[in-house]
Amino acid sequence: MRRAPTSTPYRGKSGQWAFLFHRITGFGVFLFLMLHVVDVSLTNNRRLYNDVHALYGNVVFRVFEVGLLFGLLYHALNGLRIILIDFFPEGVHADRTMFSIVVFLTVAAGLPGGYVILRPFLEGHF
Amino acid sequence: MALRTVDRTTPVSAQPPPPPRPSFETWSWFFMRVSGLVLLFLALVHFAITHITNDVATTNYHFVAKRWHNFGWRIFDWSLLALALAHGLNGLRLIIDDYVRRPARRAATKAFLYTGTLVLFAYGTLTIFNFPG
Repeated sequence: MRRAPTSTPYRGKSGQWAFLFHRITGFGVFLFLMLHVVDVSLTNNRRLYNDVHALYGNVVFRVFEVGLLFGLLYHALNGLRIILIDFFPEGVHADRTMFSIVVFLTVAAGLPGGYVILRPFLEGHF
Repeated sequence: MALRTVDRTTPVSAQPPPPPRPSFETWSWFFMRVSGLVLLFLALVHFAITHITNDVATTNYHFVAKRWHNFGWRIFDWSLLALALAHGLNGLRLIIDDYVRRPARRAATKAFLYTGTLVLFAYGTLTIFNFPG
């Protein structure tokens, strides 16, 4: 089968997805951190801070915060998986199981957390 | 053909290889693990306080003032700021090495990243410690 010259024949399994998500979530959290440093710096102007900060209660921002929660949870838990494999190399045989646990815990903690964040909107005041 | 004599007082196999000196990348690897573990605690606690136990709509100026009245929370937030920026900076450095291949472009991208992160660190530090109260 012919491939485009830039395509890679590499077909990674769970580890490749774990790596890719780790990069994407890490990059995303860093971008948010940059925004967050700037928005908190507005505390030198009380009214401006309150006005800008009111945006975070908007439903669009709340959905974005749920995304941030999922990104943080995934990055933290997958980081733990990486540390475990680094310090207990035999653990690499359980790599797929650990990745499944990471995904499961991310969803299991992210859904209730996401519900709490979105609750004011779901209950009709935002 | 003249053979050069090699002075070998001990057989090659008996010489243990010298332990590798930890390089910059070894320290970088180690830093990511340690800061990652600390950040797991700092970032998730911070997120829980500002989004779960308090609704984000209530975290206004008054909320910040009350929280930063306690100097311990300023230290907490500053540690989170410093470690998260350093962890993210190092992560992005590795990402740039992977994807930005042309030397000039890579140097420029890193210069932009390092400068931007340093500015944010200074700005964030001023925000936390210049806040009245």
